Amino acid sequence: MSERERHGPAGTLPPVRRPDSAPPPEANPTIRRPPRGSGSPGPLRFVLDSIAMGWRWLVRMKTALLLLGVLALQTAIATIVPQEPNVRSTVEAWRAGEEGPGAPVARVLDAIGAFDVYGSAMFLALLLLLFLSLTACLIPRIRAWVRLVRRSRPPLVRSVGRHDLVASFATDRTPDEVHEAARSSLTERRWRVRTADGADGAPPQVAAEKGLWSREGGSLLFHLSFYVLLAAIVFGQLITFEGQVGVVEGDRGFTDTEVSYWTYRPGRWFGPEQHAGWQLNLDAFEVEWIRDPTAPGAGQPTTFRSDVTIVGADGEVSQAVIEGNRPHTVDGFKIHQLDWGYAPRIVVEVDGDVVYDDFITTIALDRAGFRGAVKAPAADPDVGLDVFLYPFAPDGEPGDPPTLTGAPWDDDPVLIVSQYRGDLQLGATQQSIVELDTSALELEGGAFVRPGQTVTIGDVTVSFPELRRWVGFQVSSRPQIPWLLFGSALLVAGLIPALYAYRRRLWVLATPDGPRTVVRVAGRAFQRPERFEEEHSRIVAALAATTGGTPVTSPGVTDPDGDTSAPAPAGSTSEVMTR
Amino acid sequence: MTTEQLADLSRVLYSPTTLALYLAAAFVYLYALTTTVGRREDRVRGRRAQAVGAALAVAGIGTHIAHEVVRGLAQSRFPLGNMFEVTSLMALVGVVVGWTYLTFIRKRGELNGFVLLGGALVLASALLMYAEPGPLMPILDTWWRHFHVSLLVGAMGIFAAGFVFNGLYLLRDTGERAVARQREHGMHGSTVGAAYVGDLEAGSEDGSVASDGGLTDRTTDALDPTGDDDGRDHDAEYRTALRAGVSPVRLAIGTAIGTSLVAWVFVYSADTVAAGLGRFVTINLVMVAAALLARWFVPFLPSTATLDGLAHRTIAFAFLMWTVGTIAGAMWAEQSWGRFWGWDPKETGAFLTWVAYAGYLHARATSGMKGRRAAWIGVGAFIVLMGTYLIANYVIVGLHSYAGL
Ligand code: HEM
Repeated sequence: MSERERHGPAGTLPPVRRPDSAPPPEANPTIRRPPRGSGSPGPLRFVLDSIAMGWRWLVRMKTALLLLGVLALQTAIATIVPQEPNVRSTVEAWRAGEEGPGAPVARVLDAIGAFDVYGSAMFLALLLLLFLSLTACLIPRIRAWVRLVRRSRPPLVRSVGRHDLVASFATDRTPDEVHEAARSSLTERRWRVRTADGADGAPPQVAAEKGLWSREGGSLLFHLSFYVLLAAIVFGQLITFEGQVGVVEGDRGFTDTEVSYWTYRPGRWFGPEQHAGWQLNLDAFEVEWIRDPTAPGAGQPTTFRSDVTIVGADGEVSQAVIEGNRPHTVDGFKIHQLDWGYAPRIVVEVDGDVVYDDFITTIALDRAGFRGAVKAPAADPDVGLDVFLYPFAPDGEPGDPPTLTGAPWDDDPVLIVSQYRGDLQLGATQQSIVELDTSALELEGGAFVRPGQTVTIGDVTVSFPELRRWVGFQVSSRPQIPWLLFGSALLVAGLIPALYAYRRRLWVLATPDGPRTVVRVAGRAFQRPERFEEEHSRIVAALAATTGGTPVTSPGVTDPDGDTSAPAPAGSTSEVMTR
Repeated sequence: MTTEQLADLSRVLYSPTTLALYLAAAFVYLYALTTTVGRREDRVRGRRAQAVGAALAVAGIGTHIAHEVVRGLAQSRFPLGNMFEVTSLMALVGVVVGWTYLTFIRKRGELNGFVLLGGALVLASALLMYAEPGPLMPILDTWWRHFHVSLLVGAMGIFAAGFVFNGLYLLRDTGERAVARQREHGMHGSTVGAAYVGDLEAGSEDGSVASDGGLTDRTTDALDPTGDDDGRDHDAEYRTALRAGVSPVRLAIGTAIGTSLVAWVFVYSADTVAAGLGRFVTINLVMVAAALLARWFVPFLPSTATLDGLAHRTIAFAFLMWTVGTIAGAMWAEQSWGRFWGWDPKETGAFLTWVAYAGYLHARATSGMKGRRAAWIGVGAFIVLMGTYLIANYVIVGLHSYAGL
């Protein structure tokens, strides 16, 4: 094909574009009916007219495109501006002007809901409009499609001259025999076939059509799947549950009840009675890194693995392994291993009384050890410890403090403890697990503590008897997932024919020409013409083979309708007609 | 071989070997394209050039695949763990799919030059993100992730090919419109022009009768007056007029603006402002040079309908891959993080790209939007794709963080 291609007319500049002589098929028929008003002017009429106008606006494809554009714009904002539900701390920093474009801009962003695009009223309104537009578009399309599927008959042609792709050959069979052969061959290829014997004004022919259900049907299925997805997402929000909890190795485990979660996020329709009360104990947590500093990826973790024992609601005990990509399901709740940290056991004594003895959960700081806090309100005044844990901190030169490496493995751990007295403000302010609210606390002093050591800071004694690890588990229940999968399956199943199926028509006209019969096969594709061209020539070749056709040699075949624009048929390969 | 030797070998296979082969193939193919307009003996030469180009392209694909395999061996994992690897695979998929599609399915091998040039550019840009081979975070090393990332990266490569076709379509269309305007003003007389209606008829798939290039090209071929010296002079004149129809200044400025919409990320993310600006300017210059090179080839391009059809088919295919890949990503996220969608920057980016390309498909299916407007939306969608890819990796790093950045 490339061989024969021409790129520019020789000897002249080309003429201006002409409008298409044939109107394109209406793939998306819009229905324009006059609004059904009461006839009398008045507020009711005005409302009805406005609704009809709004509907007509919604039905337009350009509206859909506009709405998709606005959706894209909102999503773009959400890509660039940090989103509160994802990174609350960054958003706070933007608001305070510490990061981002500064506080005044942040105020504007806040006002338009840019920090939580997907929760903003604007987004909901857009979603509503999108679905209205989709509905407005789909109702007439579905109706038209049903009509098409039920009633469509391939149209007959008077002459082949007006169609794109025409191929001809001559055969010794009678026209009826050729038509019969064409009919059976096209039926076999699953075309919708209609034969005409010339009684209805059109010349005898076989008209056929294919691909009219699948493309439009696929597109409809694709768009309809959005409703399934939307319903699954909305109902999913209502019935879902998600909670997080940290569990220390070998320590008391965790029981699935409303109060035992650290964070608890139920959907509106999720009731506490849905917790089955199963238990989880973390037997061991294994973590490993590439420790060789010269190896590629040095410092990167290679293993995270929790060995857990689970006691089901029915009392059945089972062992399981939970890893990054291997959640475990208990009684319909999925348990993911999301987070981990070290859990040093810290004992605090004041005047010989133990005011605190527990594992604290520390969380990893960016390449700088782990952080946690001890809050001991049992002492008077309250004792607070700000704790930094460096898992690998070998001793320095005698007299120097330990060397704090950023390495996360616990070869030589040390705690840096700062001791505070005063009011912890528990219950009074927003508290973090790993940080103290030092606003009403007085710093008393600090110390390094190795495992097994006891230090005294002021009148407080701090010991560090043992180091364990803790794992943060996420527990979730998402009954909507099968529906989401179903919606996604519909989406893909519709998209493939929507993009790949193509609607085409074919006409076979056999006419006597002296002693022989001239067969012309005209075709027209509404989509993917390059694909149809191949198909057309395959069909023509097959038909020529079954009817013993030979290429036409004389160029003077006359069109039955005197359509002189038909070019000379040439051989059994397809050929384009100039118009 | 030791791991280091494997790593060195993989680097050499990548650059200069594959890069040079792609560039060489691109230029041989581009030469072949210039022969498609002209005398018969030119075409014979063009056919030979295409064979040479094909050999170079296959060799380049071979060394590229070898690079991926050796790199995979050097780090004992699937090479899809950081931006360098992802970008490299994007180039590979783009070249393999684009080349196969043009050569064997559409039988338009002469257009391969642009695909290979695009592949070489993506390949070179990956060098900006080069990372030594290394292991992967365990959470990332799952079958689901490989499936998801491969689909999305493959789709990115094919979207890149679609972008090339859309760009060429716009160039050719601009040239043709300028020529048509001139003709209307009566600056050149038209004698046999009517025979070439087909070549200008920018029909698109749905609707117009003399629609795709495959059809129209034949029309004109039947009336090809090759060999006619007079015709050749006019041919040359027409070609010059087409080329002149695309203003190089506007093209350069437009390309620089479009490129800057994405390339600012390199300024933002570089260690020093100077290094960032260096990258920014380099990328802009390379893209502008590529655009001007493409402009020179405007007269040799096939009809706008063909280019439009190529863009649509590639983008439709990539859209399908992107859809499946995004769904697979959500399924992986549910496995791995316990939530199937969280509007993380990468998820948002994937969704945004999906919506942008859906916009292109809709525009192309709407009668009032077909042609130039749809093509511009397609170009915009590619800017969205590259922008979100770079922003999500360099500017806002979410859960999807790669190693080796
Ligand atoms: C506002 C809601 C929407 C409306 C009213 C709408 C309407 C339409 C219509 C009428 C078509 C048929 C075009 C034709 O073949 O003539 C179509 C096709 C299509 N739509 Fe939508 N659509 C909407 C939303 C979406 C969304 C959100 C997506 C996906 C991101 C999407 C993806 C597609 C695709 C892939 C096609 C097939 C294009 C083709 O035939 O080449 N649509 N849409």
